[in-house]
Amino acid sequence: MRLAYYPGCVAQESGKELDMATRWVAKKVGLELVGFPNFSCCGSGFVDEANSTLNTAMNARNLAIAEKAGLDILTVCSTCTGMLSLANHQLKDPKVRARVDGALSQIGVAYSGKTRVKHLLEVLTKEIGTERIRALVTRPLKGLKVGAFYGCHLLRPSAELGSESAEEPHSFEDLIAALGAEPVMYRGRVMCCGFPILFVKEATANRIAATQIQDAKAHGAHAMATPCPLCHISLDSFQNKAEKQAGHDLDMPIFHLPQLVGLALGATPEELGLPRHMVATDSALARIGQVAVPA
Amino acid sequence: MPEATVTANFDVYRYDPATDAAPRYQRYTLQLAPHTPVLTGLLRIRDELDPTLTLRYSCRSAICGSCAMLVNSKSRLACQTPVGPEIEQHGRIVIDPMRNLPVLRDLVVEMTTFWSKYSRIEPHLIDDPAHPMPVGRETTMSPAQVERFKETPRCIACGACYSACPAVEADAEFPGPMALAKLYRFVVDPRDGARRERLVKIQTEGLWLCLRCHLCTEACPKDVQPSQRIRDLKEMAVAVQGGTEPGSRHAIGFKDNIRSTGTLNEMKLVRQTSGLLGMVAQAPQGIKLSRKKPEILHAPKKIEGQEELEKLYELLDDAPPKEEP
Repeated sequence: MRLAYYPGCVAQESGKELDMATRWVAKKVGLELVGFPNFSCCGSGFVDEANSTLNTAMNARNLAIAEKAGLDILTVCSTCTGMLSLANHQLKDPKVRARVDGALSQIGVAYSGKTRVKHLLEVLTKEIGTERIRALVTRPLKGLKVGAFYGCHLLRPSAELGSESAEEPHSFEDLIAALGAEPVMYRGRVMCCGFPILFVKEATANRIAATQIQDAKAHGAHAMATPCPLCHISLDSFQNKAEKQAGHDLDMPIFHLPQLVGLALGATPEELGLPRHMVATDSALARIGQVAVPA
Repeated sequence: MPEATVTANFDVYRYDPATDAAPRYQRYTLQLAPHTPVLTGLLRIRDELDPTLTLRYSCRSAICGSCAMLVNSKSRLACQTPVGPEIEQHGRIVIDPMRNLPVLRDLVVEMTTFWSKYSRIEPHLIDDPAHPMPVGRETTMSPAQVERFKETPRCIACGACYSACPAVEADAEFPGPMALAKLYRFVVDPRDGARRERLVKIQTEGLWLCLRCHLCTEACPKDVQPSQRIRDLKEMAVAVQGGTEPGSRHAIGFKDNIRSTGTLNEMKLVRQTSGLLGMVAQAPQGIKLSRKKPEILHAPKKIEGQEELEKLYELLDDAPPKEEP
């Protein structure tokens, strides 16, 4: 399967390990990732708040790039998925469509609305299929309890996305089970990570992250996994600050979705960029009999 | 022929702070037709099995908004939620009071905070002395003006969104989705004379604490879509006042940040949102992060076709159209 790979800003910068893991897994499962050096940032929800028409036009340009190549878009970020899908949704409004088309025509771009936006989670579980992934597992993650953390924009608003139930999704848990790990069910799995206000009111954002991590922990999770690098920033990069809000250590390893898949399919921790995390993943790796990563 | 029934096991939250040391769940079992509303089940429990069960309800028709509660952890109107699908999916029906509000008894919560946050947005028309409303005749609106209200007039103030909101849970300053959706309704009302003042005020009163997680929109039994209207309020606030608060500075900063390269410069964004002092405050965390993630110190490279993006900014951002109809 060929897809237009839209890594998003974070996976190309501070979250480069997500890109490393995605490429490793794609190769293993037979996904051909076609890169486009002209893709721009999705606006991350912030540009939408400042100027929604500009945001829609920017993303229509991204969607048009894939459409021209006859490809659907593969995302590895819940927020990119949400923003690109939002643009597809907004463009159904004739007034928005007219303004955006007018601007796009001035840069020689046309978008008819055909590009579908698919997150890696959807591609792995629905298109490649959980059973096929299970068959590729060489190192089952037995003994590891994992709390899936979906990230808001993969699920909601359901009217704009709708690849699965917004309130009771299960594809991520299905995937975790196929990898040999034990999925943990907890309320926080569909909640917010706090990221959108991390730079607006940090303590509140950290408190929200702490709440979800504590919830996963209380339900027995040894680790959490997320399909969104922004959730990863909030849950991993700022876990030290979440601990301050919680008033105690959290020590929760946070995996990017393809890192967890990669581990089960035989990748080394280094190939998946695990040493780049702020919270060491050693405790989780020890449970699945992997050599611990040096700090 | 009588309709087939299913066994409905209700596990209902019971708590009387005056007499109970801790909340508990009590099991009640009824035979119910699958389409029976959860509220009807609860009222049968109260009337036939246990007169001490305390709950709030009135119209039973999803109009009054009294019976919002958690049904299998989801914020719902009990009168609008049939038992069948809940039993099918969860095997039982777990009932809790709404979240984010203190419990008075069983399923009844104390809603004073909810209502006082609503009062704070001044949910009434404010006359503009320069353009007073006509006396003795109706004020008419054009279809385009009516359309701007979107779905907000449908709100029945049931509190389901407030119960589902993680920003309410984490920060007392956040007004909550219902109050903000109501604020939107007055901001777009052509009869209201305080549009600008309302937008300026809310910038400092919690507007930017919305996480845009859209949990409110999923919870709303009336499809009011509070999260989308909060988004609209943010855009209108930016248009009337610019970046005066960390939230609006962050939104504008982000927009300007990606213009020159097409991709995000993480370091620069911190400076745009927090200023130089904020940069200093963030420095220790930045240094820690940069040891594992050195990329955050480097400016990202320009995308190909950045000039196309630049043109979109020129067309759609440098001279935005007047947003008033």
